[in-house]
Amino acid sequence: MFAITPNTLSNFMNSMSRYVILLSLLLISVSIFLIIFLENDYYQGISFKIMFIHVPTAWLSLAIFLMMGISSIIGLIFKSPTAFTVARSLSPIGLIMSIIVLVTGSIWGNLTWGAYWVWDARLTSMLILAFIYLGHILLLHSFEHFQKADFAASILAIIGLVNLPIVKFSVDWWTTLHQESSVLRIGGPSMTNDYLITLIVSFFGIFMLTIFWFSNIFYIIIEKRKMERSKLLND
Amino acid sequence: MRIIKLNNQIKKRFIFLLIIFACFSASIFLISYSLKDQIAYFVEPTDLKSMDGIENKYLRVGGLVKINSLKFLDGNWTFEVIDQNQNSVNVVFSKTLPNLVEENKGIIVEGKFIDNIFVAEIVLAKHDENYMPQSAIDKLKEEGKWRGN
Repeated sequence: MFAITPNTLSNFMNSMSRYVILLSLLLISVSIFLIIFLENDYYQGISFKIMFIHVPTAWLSLAIFLMMGISSIIGLIFKSPTAFTVARSLSPIGLIMSIIVLVTGSIWGNLTWGAYWVWDARLTSMLILAFIYLGHILLLHSFEHFQKADFAASILAIIGLVNLPIVKFSVDWWTTLHQESSVLRIGGPSMTNDYLITLIVSFFGIFMLTIFWFSNIFYIIIEKRKMERSKLLND
Repeated sequence: MRIIKLNNQIKKRFIFLLIIFACFSASIFLISYSLKDQIAYFVEPTDLKSMDGIENKYLRVGGLVKINSLKFLDGNWTFEVIDQNQNSVNVVFSKTLPNLVEENKGIIVEGKFIDNIFVAEIVLAKHDENYMPQSAIDKLKEEGKWRGN
């Protein structure tokens, strides 16, 4: 795995990207269709349908951070430029995902709880996650040499891994206003199958979109570096 | 020879990262463990029994709205917040309730105890993790498996 250069990974992802975006658009259209025709929840009414954006983006914002942390560890231990570039391309996507989670969550919160924002453990730890993403991006852009930036940002990503179990288990460890997990929980999902299937379809739609977006950012970073290098050689 | 040297370096870097991570998680664990009462968003009526000096102290109490206790009298909402141990707190609230406040559903009230009655300033509805359409509930009721109200 450590023999993969950024170039080969970029070429591989470019060759796949058209299928990925087609699959993503297909899954998202199917999920929109499913969401529209889904029966309302008995208690929350129509407002629960915001779940089909809120939950997939929440899962992804955690999964992207985990991926960023793992590739930072690989990058630091094996000095792998590919792993560093993977972490570098993931943080903007993670930031956007966590902003979507916070915004959709606060709309949903106002409709159901009666408050846009409260300082409970789940909401606060999710806000911290968004700030760590922002800090990662800012660190990457505050050094002249990208190797130094990668080193500093990787340390932040590894430290930030501590926050992941806190976000996930905050609803179990402390009392919160936020509900407990409905899907990834002991005893199986606490929703009916029609809701669960819609959620999974919309998750994979957004997941495929994330992969497409990731491959684009990765490609741009690689091409920019190539241009800078050829400029240096010409001067 | 070169491979052995590389392995040593990798080992060193791995241990370095492990120490950073372990120190950080230990400090976060200690902070959140010692602040666990502050991180908890609300207390249950049972917890109030073991707390002293709760009169005139700003608190959040959470639980379920007791069945047949939600009433509107003289411009005030009154209800009881009950928990699993059947301990309850009498609450009065003078503003508009959130839409989802119902009997036998979750609620969090924010305010103070005045003469053993909890005067709430903010009321939040706390929904649980169960999602199902009305038709599924009707089906469960037909089969006699529904345990809600």
